[in-house]
Amino acid sequence: MPRYAFVLAGGLGSRLCLLSERRAKPAVPFGGKYRIIDFTLSNCVNSGIFDVGVLTQYRPYSLNVHIGTGRPWDLDRSRGGVHVLQPSLGSVQSDWYQGTADAIYQNLIHLRRRRIDEVLVLSGDHVYKMDYNVLYAFHKASGASVTVAVTEVPEESISSFGILETDRQGRVTGFKEKPKRADSRLASMGVYLFDRLALVRWLVEDAETPGSGHDFGKDILPRLVARGEHVFAYHFNGYWQDVGTLDSYYQTNLEFLGDHPPLELGDPDWVIHTQSADRPPVRVEHGAHVSRSFVANGCRVSGRVEHSMLFPGVTVASDAVVRDSILMHDVRVGRGAVVDHAVVDKEVRVGDGAVVGEGDASIPNRACPDHLSSGLLVIGKCAQLPANLVVGRNARIGAYVTERDFAGDVPPGGVIDGPQSMH
Amino acid sequence: MRRMVALVLAGGGGEALSVLTTERAVSAVPFGGKYRVIDFVLSNCSHSEIAEIGVLTQHAPASLHDHIGAGRPWGFDHRSGGVQLMQPYLTRSESEWYLGTAHAIARNWDRVEALGASRVLVVSGDQVYRMDYRRMLMMHERRRATVTLAVTRVPPQESGRFGMVRFGADGRVTELQEKPRQTRAAHASMGVYLFETAALRELMQERPADMVIDVLVPLLEAGEAVHAHEFTGYWEDVGTVASYYRANLELVAPTPRLELHNPRWPVLTRDEERPPVNLREGADVEDSLLANGCRVAGRVRRSVIFPGTVVEPGAEVSDSIVFQDGVIGRGAVVSRSILDKHTIVGERAVVGWGDPPGDPAHAWLDGLTLIGKDAHIPEGARIGRGVVVGLNASFDGHGGEVPAGTTLPTRVWYEGIA
Repeated sequence: MPRYAFVLAGGLGSRLCLLSERRAKPAVPFGGKYRIIDFTLSNCVNSGIFDVGVLTQYRPYSLNVHIGTGRPWDLDRSRGGVHVLQPSLGSVQSDWYQGTADAIYQNLIHLRRRRIDEVLVLSGDHVYKMDYNVLYAFHKASGASVTVAVTEVPEESISSFGILETDRQGRVTGFKEKPKRADSRLASMGVYLFDRLALVRWLVEDAETPGSGHDFGKDILPRLVARGEHVFAYHFNGYWQDVGTLDSYYQTNLEFLGDHPPLELGDPDWVIHTQSADRPPVRVEHGAHVSRSFVANGCRVSGRVEHSMLFPGVTVASDAVVRDSILMHDVRVGRGAVVDHAVVDKEVRVGDGAVVGEGDASIPNRACPDHLSSGLLVIGKCAQLPANLVVGRNARIGAYVTERDFAGDVPPGGVIDGPQSMH
Repeated sequence: MRRMVALVLAGGGGEALSVLTTERAVSAVPFGGKYRVIDFVLSNCSHSEIAEIGVLTQHAPASLHDHIGAGRPWGFDHRSGGVQLMQPYLTRSESEWYLGTAHAIARNWDRVEALGASRVLVVSGDQVYRMDYRRMLMMHERRRATVTLAVTRVPPQESGRFGMVRFGADGRVTELQEKPRQTRAAHASMGVYLFETAALRELMQERPADMVIDVLVPLLEAGEAVHAHEFTGYWEDVGTVASYYRANLELVAPTPRLELHNPRWPVLTRDEERPPVNLREGADVEDSLLANGCRVAGRVRRSVIFPGTVVEPGAEVSDSIVFQDGVIGRGAVVSRSILDKHTIVGERAVVGWGDPPGDPAHAWLDGLTLIGKDAHIPEGARIGRGVVVGLNASFDGHGGEVPAGTTLPTRVWYEGIA
């Protein structure tokens, strides 16, 4: 039975601060060598779905490069495979995608000749391992027109999700998008399995509805539930994480370093595939100390690394200390430098003797006090930090900042902005 | 017409590498934490923009074929040819295995000819080095040579391992000696030959066996233009246990002679998707290479650890090479050893224990302990130095102690099951 999945990968991820300033949220590096979208794409191929359309909109460049021809996922096929579907002129409508439902609506042409009964709609923003075959089986058995995968979330975070109420058979009786209060704690995972024809009918209807935001969560599902369509909830018990904020991004990553990682990344029966460059093995040099950390191929460590995640190609020079931090691809930490409690984007250079993450953690960031106030600091892609610079906690240093952009040390909560945009 | 195609000689079984080559060719032996020996030559070809290559295989070729596949990692998977695997085959008139390297090429000469190049580069797949063959080609063209051999300086005491070459200031070769005990020649032939296709074609009609004796020497004696191209970079023939071990351990020296990390000339290989190296609480690692998929909670010193190997808490690995997916159990100690794939070292076992055997018959092992694939070393067992453990070997009847210099025979994997 052929199957087809749309992966929504156009999101802004604005609460991820600098990490998603220059890339779509699904392209944000995660887990020491992956990108967030790798989990969803790997779920597809591990579930036997080899025909996937990835919908992009916001800053698609790094996602395009990452997905390429789909080779790492065995999606480089003569039939099916992966297709990146960007907003375009001259199709049904010539405009940017207005919402998740509109994104699919504008790509309905891709459902015309596919011999499928159902359409799987996924989000590229989430970290989880799920066998979609089980979802298909549930959908068939329940006689649903659409099945929404749900997971239990803690009471305090219900206001971040679409919350569903169900009856005993799993039929959805209520749907509230980001409610303040609710009786249920079942959150929509952004994983929908639709009957193909029902989906088409509902999308056309939604497109013609004035005032609709054209969003599955906000508009379509509440409408379907309200008028008694066969909407069912499939209860997923495994780990699922929406790494929406910088703090949750940081915590979720570091959870993988513990004794009980939330997901087994090395499971030979459920490989998480990614695009990885050919890099030599990790080189741990004389005098180095590395513990409670992930270190990917291509890294060289001479200094001390504790409770941190080093993506491929990171160099930590002698006498340097990296603690409780996430360092993305090819970051270089100079001799004697200290990096503490920081998320450091790709190719950043930390000069010799610099101290990154110092002083008062209680002063929130000047520019984004809401997202940067827990003591964590963030450094954008390719920033160059001069030798002996001191950077306070909750600071934000923009992408492509050069040594000349620093007038002196950066106080806690400080902001150094980079040039506006490089692409 | 193409300027140059390459033939990689990868058929050697290398008795000298013992259990490491029981089920694989020398070229397919793992090297440097994630590579196979042949990756260096394939990467050289790829970076030298050689688009067509033939790989000649004979001894236990399965793992090599598996590794090379369509040649994707090296960019050989293009529409017009790419990589061809050339195995021995039967015809109505011929049923011989390859008798030597030159014979292997002669048997496949039609296919070499079909590649349609004016020059043929013949290289051994058993050596570790980075070389731009285009420079050699330039010299070859400038000197209008019939054949150019790459040569490199070796210490005089090693001349017995190599074909030794003397040449004049103009690069013209004057003397070729095969593995002499003593010689005035300072340069070894690297097993890298660049031929004019026409000259090679003629010699291939003569049913040659050996590349040096039946091809190079006759060319030299006929007064053909045989030239030497001196290579001064790192080059290592890893055909013996001692040289293989040394070449690996040199990679973890403070300033290695061979730098694996080189973004302009990366060593390309077939990579498996594995998570980053996981260094747990209590991990204590220095002077080592660890590949993705490893999980380390013990102590590692001066060692090369391949993907997926687990070093449990309290375990200690030093001066050793551990191939893919090994497990070093709690409190186990491994020193000066080479552990092939899927070796399980039971808790508190010692591999590389006591003194090396005194017997000169074991000198080739250099005091190292060699463990073949799939060995399961029992808990608390002590495996002496100079011991060779065959593939899937049984430790029954050894009372937990295998004395120095012992050889345990290889068993087929289904022995004891069926």
